[in-house]
Amino acid sequence: MPLCSFFIHKVIMTYQFKHMTVLLVESTRAMADLTKSILMTFGVTDIHTAFSMKEGFEKFRALEPDLVIIDWLQEPDNGLELTRRIRSDKQSPNPFTPIILMTGYSQIKRVLMARDSGITEFLVKPFTARALYQRIEQIIEMPRYFVVSDKYFGPDRRRKRDSNYAGTDRRADRQPEPYSSPERIKATLSAAEKAREILRKHTQDSSKET
Amino acid sequence: MSDDIFPQQQKVRHAELISPPNRLKEKVGSGGIDENVLQKAQELLERNTINFDPIANMLLDLLVEAIADAKSGALKGEDALGAMIYPAMQLKAQGTMFHYPLVSDISHILVNFLETVEDLNRDVLDIVVAHKMAIKAVLASQLKGDGGKTGKELREALMEACGRYYRSKKPQ
Repeated sequence: MPLCSFFIHKVIMTYQFKHMTVLLVESTRAMADLTKSILMTFGVTDIHTAFSMKEGFEKFRALEPDLVIIDWLQEPDNGLELTRRIRSDKQSPNPFTPIILMTGYSQIKRVLMARDSGITEFLVKPFTARALYQRIEQIIEMPRYFVVSDKYFGPDRRRKRDSNYAGTDRRADRQPEPYSSPERIKATLSAAEKAREILRKHTQDSSKET
Repeated sequence: MSDDIFPQQQKVRHAELISPPNRLKEKVGSGGIDENVLQKAQELLERNTINFDPIANMLLDLLVEAIADAKSGALKGEDALGAMIYPAMQLKAQGTMFHYPLVSDISHILVNFLETVEDLNRDVLDIVVAHKMAIKAVLASQLKGDGGKTGKELREALMEACGRYYRSKKPQ
């Protein structure tokens, strides 16, 4: 590649959002339309919407989106339960899928509830276009490790590592209540097994390509 | 590191860390997005012409229903609080997005109040009703933006009402 072409390529290179599929699960059509239009301005073209947990999970299974944006939703629908299904349900096609929870709740107890359900990023509404973009960029550039344990399966919930921590086992200090039932533990372990399978398959595919 | 620093903390489970494939990165590549695109998206957000009235009225109806259920005893405790918090949270989330930041501010005060009250009683419900009426008034008078002096007074009055409630509950 000639030097000038290399520089031009470097200058104009941007995220190719047209290659990604987004599933938006919102409680109101107006909010879904607004979020959709922002994503379209970013360059995302393949955007699907759902307005309930059931519809959201069905579309998630059918579309296998690269990113899911979820609202907290109204009981008995629940954005956190949808997150748990994506992470733990046997029918979930990809339990690693990044999930952004967009909600008007900002109290710490809600943030912790959302974090313990397995979300990847939390975005408080009202939000700005930049804030939404930053969450997506974070997912692309700084993906989180996944934690597999008998009580939790999902993105590593620790953002910061405290070098002054003096305990014996950082993970043993909390037991998220939603994962305490035997059914939940069973589902978590099955999701973890599925995650390993996907990982194995991905590794095999990558080695074939190379 | 010594194991007896926190002797009460028992090792309860083994955790494994795995690094999943970054499918998104593989698809979208690198480079971020242009600053102009972000500005354009923000302008689009700020200039949207979506009519907030039907959304707000639907959420206010939910709030009114929840207040009525709490008053009649059809919903109790956490269930009643949850039924009131949800529409308040949605009003907070969506007000600013559709040009009613004052609705967001008032709802934010209400959500914070409802998230911290310990029991549901007549005083709490009166404060919820006051917030609901304030939101209705803002919508009826099409008070977009922060509401200026009126908005400031409204916010202060509602915060004072919540403050009075907390002070009345403080142990003497």
